[in-house]
Amino acid sequence: MTRFLVRRLGLLALVVWGVVTATFALVHATPGDPARATLGDKAPESAVQALRAEWGLDQPLGVQYWHFLTDLVSGNLGTSFQYRSPITALLAERLPTTLLLMLMAVTFAVVISLPLATWVAVRGRGGSDIGVRIFGAVAQGTPTFLIGTLLVIVFGLKLHWFPVGGYGRTTAEHLHSLVLPAMTVALGIVPMLVNSLRASLTDALQSDFVAFGHSKGLKPATVLAAYAIRNGSISGVTILGIQAGVLAGGALVVEKVFAIPGMGSLMLAGILGRDFPVVQATTLVFAGIVVVVYLITDLSYALLDPRARLT
Amino acid sequence: MIPKKWLPALAASTLIASLLLVACSPDLSSSSDGMGTPQAGGHLVMAREMDVTTLMPADATDNQSIWTSEEIFDTLVVPSVNGEGLKPSLATDWVQSSDKLAWTFTLRPGTTFSDGTALTSADVKFSLDTASDPNLPSGFLNEQIAAVETPSPDTVVVRTKTAWSPLPSVLALYANSIVPANYGGKSREEFAKAPVGSGPFKVKSWTIGQQLELVKNTSYWGADRPYLDAVTFVAVGDANTRATQLQGGQITVNETPAASSFAALSSTPGLKASAFDSSYTSFLSLNNTRAPFTDVHVRRAIAHAIDREAILKAAYFGQGTAAGSFLSPAYWAYDANVKGRQFNLEEAKKEMKLSSTPQGFSADILVASGNATQLTTAQILQGELSDIGITLTINQMEPGALRATRKSMDYDMAISYATTDITDPDELVRFIAVQSGGSNALYTGYDSQEVADLATKAASLSDQAERAKIYSTIQQKVNDDQPLIPLLYQPMLYSYSDRVHDFQPSMTGNYNLVNTWLSK
Repeated sequence: MTRFLVRRLGLLALVVWGVVTATFALVHATPGDPARATLGDKAPESAVQALRAEWGLDQPLGVQYWHFLTDLVSGNLGTSFQYRSPITALLAERLPTTLLLMLMAVTFAVVISLPLATWVAVRGRGGSDIGVRIFGAVAQGTPTFLIGTLLVIVFGLKLHWFPVGGYGRTTAEHLHSLVLPAMTVALGIVPMLVNSLRASLTDALQSDFVAFGHSKGLKPATVLAAYAIRNGSISGVTILGIQAGVLAGGALVVEKVFAIPGMGSLMLAGILGRDFPVVQATTLVFAGIVVVVYLITDLSYALLDPRARLT
Repeated sequence: MIPKKWLPALAASTLIASLLLVACSPDLSSSSDGMGTPQAGGHLVMAREMDVTTLMPADATDNQSIWTSEEIFDTLVVPSVNGEGLKPSLATDWVQSSDKLAWTFTLRPGTTFSDGTALTSADVKFSLDTASDPNLPSGFLNEQIAAVETPSPDTVVVRTKTAWSPLPSVLALYANSIVPANYGGKSREEFAKAPVGSGPFKVKSWTIGQQLELVKNTSYWGADRPYLDAVTFVAVGDANTRATQLQGGQITVNETPAASSFAALSSTPGLKASAFDSSYTSFLSLNNTRAPFTDVHVRRAIAHAIDREAILKAAYFGQGTAAGSFLSPAYWAYDANVKGRQFNLEEAKKEMKLSSTPQGFSADILVASGNATQLTTAQILQGELSDIGITLTINQMEPGALRATRKSMDYDMAISYATTDITDPDELVRFIAVQSGGSNALYTGYDSQEVADLATKAASLSDQAERAKIYSTIQQKVNDDQPLIPLLYQPMLYSYSDRVHDFQPSMTGNYNLVNTWLSK
């Protein structure tokens, strides 16, 4: 287990290094000068050059990369060009919002998918199966922004159950504001999750250990919960883990549609404003979230299936 | 009888159908009209594409920061709403010396900053001296200022290097806002995040990148102003979200509503939609340093081949007017007799025959990616220019990359625009038509010594009528040369609750929220 963890953490660090290096190369390869973007079209070239020097952008790329890496290792993510504020302070405000959004999205996805998949698996092939497949195909084929817009119009604008956008001020308002965005992200992963769970639950329900449970005289609900769902849910955990990247990408779109001040909107503002340090830092955090979720997914196998050996 | 096994599919379809039905049904709610005597109080919430990036007026370059600073700070003078002149603000009057090299400003007596500190000539000197740093974004506009003197606490003398009429107009610029001397004891960085000004509102809190809350400055010098208790600016990047937030009553004002929905908004109960005059002019920029655009006949042929009305309808949903002169009608120097080279295919073909490439040629046109308006415009141009043998290839480019490409003059054609920061035409004339004016003539490379000399002469004269004559000559000369082709004059669009009254942004964009009020 320890060897597994050490090896995995080493690999994760390598992945994160690859991502931040690729991001560094991409943001510097794209035309567009952050100093010019900050000072505007009318500022004289001398002012632009002075700002480039202040930000170290006049140095060779290799030197800039070295400074970037050494700062990163020491926990210094730099200062935003646009807002002239330390990026760690910006992240401290934004990261909890995005994490809460992702957590609520996963919760909604599980709460919707598990009962739906169990219901279909128990009933077997038939109308319910076809119905869920049709629903899945429609939900999966609908772009996130369209689902979000529909939810806003119906539950925000018409029924006034939830805010149309924004994040509110108090914790209760934050949770209330995140319901529709989280549901939008959740609906993007529900179809795949339901399909996977349905298949593995169907297999589990036909297995010998379930038959054994019934023959022991256990209640059907106990057999379902303790035997079938526990075994069948391992595939769901895999899907959720794989979908971490989709969740992060979904957060980017959804934060813009719902005006949620999270990491996604910070990243977009950074890209548009040629704010290199912000783009690099937000990419690093998103990459970090994804690889940590992968690690947690691997570790959770051992909890759900005692036969799994992490080597 | 519906088979039982179809029920889940039916339920799913019904759910989707009901969602669509509710989404598409009209909203019948409306609010009452409250026009009449201005009412004090209320909280105005304005949603904008982006948050402010700085609260230091001299550092501001984005419109959000500029227009916000004008609510927190005052300048010595302010432009009138229609852009035709200047009005007193912190200075109650101003006069130019007989040798035309100095301007004396008398400060409004008893004015204080929002923290209660008296505002004196020392604050004005500090503000103008620091804002004139050539490394600041707008520092170059103050390059004619030779010295700022403070003969008394309520008198300021600004000396200029040459006789220079645009000075009062430049002092109305946001970057020349009056801040406390030495930033009231704060560092420059601290002040930029929590500033103190003498304007109608003061900063309550700022969550960077998210929202800025302003509250009424109770010691503001304007009698009974402002009416509003508080103003919150929230960053909402998505145009659809801003529109739905306004309909849902979550915000009061939507800055930059989509032009496509503007007509519908005007007829939505409870909402108003207004188009305000602005200096925004869109152009088709041509690279005058690259063949065949070096040929004036090619440039004129292109200008005559463009049907601006078609672009206005298809790309701008009718919001704007076809442009003639490169200066917009929002300027006092605008010459309505300069009609531009209007759509005339015969004339376009004649000019092409006279050119170095009578058979036509191929060229690229740069368009900002994600900008549907520019893309539609380019597609229309593609069709229209094919009539005179020009094959256009549309090249979509990320806005930052596009800016860099234009600046490096590595392009054929591009859709561009210009706006002004001051009401005096001097800034924009130099910016668009003078090669050394700061932007290589809006990155066209147009180089006319005659225009440059005329612009310098116009800035040195005091008499507005005399100056207007020279600006007319410049407009005519640029119209003859067509270094860039004026396409449209565009208004600033706003949609807002019908509870909002006296919301009247000026042609430079200043919101003027000091006069705005909300009916209950």
